Amino acid sequence: MLRVIVNRIGSIAVVMLLVALMVFSLIHMAPGDPAAIIAGDNATSEQIASIRDRLGLGNPLPLQFLNWIFAASRGDLGVSIFSGVPVFGLICERLEPTLSLTLITIVIALMIAVTAGVLAAANAGSWIDRAVMALSILGFSAPIFVVGYVLIYVFAIQLKWLPVQGYASLSAGILDWLRHLVLPALSLGLAYVALIARITRTAMLDVLAEDYIRTAKAKGVSPDGILIKHALRNAGIPIVTVVGIGVALLIGGVVITESVFNIPGVGRLVVDAISKRDYPIIQGVTLVFSGVYVLINLMVDLSYGLIDPRIGRR
Amino acid sequence: MSASRRRFLQCAAAAGVLLSSRPVSVGAQSLGRNRGTLKAVMQADLRSFDPVWTTATITGSHAALVYDTLFGLDEQLAPQPQMVSRYGLSDDKLTYTFELRDGLRFSDGSPVTSADCVASMRRWAARDLAGQLLFQSVADTPVKDDRTFQIVLRERYGLVLDTLGKTSNSLWIMRRKEAETDPTQQISEIVGSGPYVFNRNATKMGAIYVYDRNDSYRPREGAPSGTTGAKVAKLDRIVWENMPDEQTAIAALQAGEIDFYETPPIEFIDQLESDHGVKTEVLNKLGNVGFIRLNWLHPPFNNQKAREAMLYVINQTDIMKAAFGNEKYFRTCNSLFGCGTNMENHENVGWFDHGQDLKKAAALFKEAGYDGRPVVILQPTNLALLNTTAQLLAEWLKQAGVNAQLAASDWGGVVARRAVQAPPEQGGWNIFATWNPTSTFASPVSFPGHAANGTKGFIGWPENAEWEAARREWTRAETLSERQEIAKKMQANGWNFVPEILTGQFVAPVAYRANVRGFLSISDLIPFWNVEKT
Repeated sequence: MLRVIVNRIGSIAVVMLLVALMVFSLIHMAPGDPAAIIAGDNATSEQIASIRDRLGLGNPLPLQFLNWIFAASRGDLGVSIFSGVPVFGLICERLEPTLSLTLITIVIALMIAVTAGVLAAANAGSWIDRAVMALSILGFSAPIFVVGYVLIYVFAIQLKWLPVQGYASLSAGILDWLRHLVLPALSLGLAYVALIARITRTAMLDVLAEDYIRTAKAKGVSPDGILIKHALRNAGIPIVTVVGIGVALLIGGVVITESVFNIPGVGRLVVDAISKRDYPIIQGVTLVFSGVYVLINLMVDLSYGLIDPRIGRR
Repeated sequence: MSASRRRFLQCAAAAGVLLSSRPVSVGAQSLGRNRGTLKAVMQADLRSFDPVWTTATITGSHAALVYDTLFGLDEQLAPQPQMVSRYGLSDDKLTYTFELRDGLRFSDGSPVTSADCVASMRRWAARDLAGQLLFQSVADTPVKDDRTFQIVLRERYGLVLDTLGKTSNSLWIMRRKEAETDPTQQISEIVGSGPYVFNRNATKMGAIYVYDRNDSYRPREGAPSGTTGAKVAKLDRIVWENMPDEQTAIAALQAGEIDFYETPPIEFIDQLESDHGVKTEVLNKLGNVGFIRLNWLHPPFNNQKAREAMLYVINQTDIMKAAFGNEKYFRTCNSLFGCGTNMENHENVGWFDHGQDLKKAAALFKEAGYDGRPVVILQPTNLALLNTTAQLLAEWLKQAGVNAQLAASDWGGVVARRAVQAPPEQGGWNIFATWNPTSTFASPVSFPGHAANGTKGFIGWPENAEWEAARREWTRAETLSERQEIAKKMQANGWNFVPEILTGQFVAPVAYRANVRGFLSISDLIPFWNVEKT
């Protein structure tokens, strides 16, 4: 097991290096120039060139990459071209809203999706099953921003139950924190719920067709006991896998959700940075997001051994 | 710089328990419904705090809160003293003497001195085009005492006070300490003598920017007019929220979560006007001039006939209607110095009276020797007006027999590519559209696009010696009527060599809650002094 962990951590380093190279290359291949944006609308070509030189953007790209990756390996993600603030500090400052939104979304989504998936499997072919499947198709199909605007219109503008936008820190009170997160979490979580519900249903149906389930039924185990104790635990691996994979969906969704609901999180930070070509922020945030995604998938892999002890013994 | 262990632990703590010691709170509920706090969504994120380092309009509005100016422009665009109490001009008209008002203080308590003013002026003049022009005629700026300083000219310059008081890229007075910063570097501290104080601790970069009332500010006496007169801070706090999503900003305004929205999209104006809790108003009455720049360095627009052809390609009404719909927000214009301005004139506008004529345009392109090569139009897809302009232009050019090709990107992509002087097939371009505040456009020297000095000048790089000589003459003219005559002469020449193509003039209303009042009508910036909530 230890060897597996060491191997995986080694592969993470390689993956992160490749991610860094891709992020850097893509950003610099994309059209745009922070110097032109800094110089303003009325700048001359000479003024833009002078700013480029000052920012070091005229250096050869391989040299820029090596400088950046060397600094990043020491934890230095550089400073924002525009504000001069260290990127690491900016990310830390924006972490709380993003983590709050993501965690609330995962909790809500897991509660709804696993319950719906188990119910659909237990009642396969019934109206419950069809309703869950229909709703999951809807959840997958509706873009986050459309869901967001509809929720804002209904619950914030018409009913006035919840705020339109913004974020309240947890330290300012849990109720206010929750009120600001309900609508964004629902918007962000809809596709995630749909994904997990469908996988849960499929995995449960597979397990429910196994011989040991029939044996459990023959031994007189209650239907709830069969579903929860025998079927759900054995269906756990595909569910946990899709939860891990779905984090990528969430990371992409966070960027949109934070913009729609004006949440000052890491997603908004990177969107703003892209619009003004603030390379250090874009590179830093993408690297951090990639690292989080890789780590979560490592945790998912390691969790297999806990769910199924046979995997841990191999 | 490497991340210290302490910083890492701070970050980890935020990640682990979500209990930051400083609340990150944005939104109505978290900021409270204090009548003394006004929450505003501005046109863009405040990317830089230094109004010398960047020409961004949003930084100008930031500076208007924090800093003050020596002179301002009143509603008739006439310069009036602001931080200056008295001023005089020597008989030879070469020495201006300025005396500062008594009791002016920076928000850190230190007095505003002549040395601060001179240092601020020199830093600003190193970057600002109008400042550079002024300082080409300046011999010295001696400090006489703490409250008195001079501008000594080498030659007569008729625009000294107008330049010191202009509202775009204004001369903001900073402490000498900041004003001695290299003008190509950003200042590190934001301390001004304006009506509000920037609250860095409460600010979250990219999210909210907070300004508190400057209790030590002493407003000038007299009714406010333009950027002159009394600037009274009537609010305890102003919070700028960076809210890039237009739909969300509209919803937040209607729900009362924000008080002011600088750039509501035109398509939402009817919706806002039907809401009794919201008012809309055009603050910048002169608005903006839309125009197209042609690349003079490469065919076909290195040929005057091809540029002339473009005058017959454009239909301003169609462009403006497509972008704004409602006619009360736009007008057509044929003046090279904007319409409704002091310099507006109608010399040599036969092309405008003739109107769009694609056949004539095709004939002129042929006369120019156009060989069917691709003509690259930069198309910023994230800016509605410019996106529409580019698409209409491409269609009209095709009808005139030109092989027009759209190069789509966001505005960030356009500003980078338009600076490229290489041929279009090597990453350059032929045409791009943009706009500029009319108040700046009105001046042959304040608007960089009015330079025709070739590759050293503004993008598009037009070149015309007669025009440049007239610009210099304009700066020396001492009266408005003299300047107006020169402007006529310039336009008569201008529409012959075609430095740019006008696409129309438009205004953009702001929207605010009905309980907010006191906004002043000023071009180029949004002033929050005199604004109050009832």
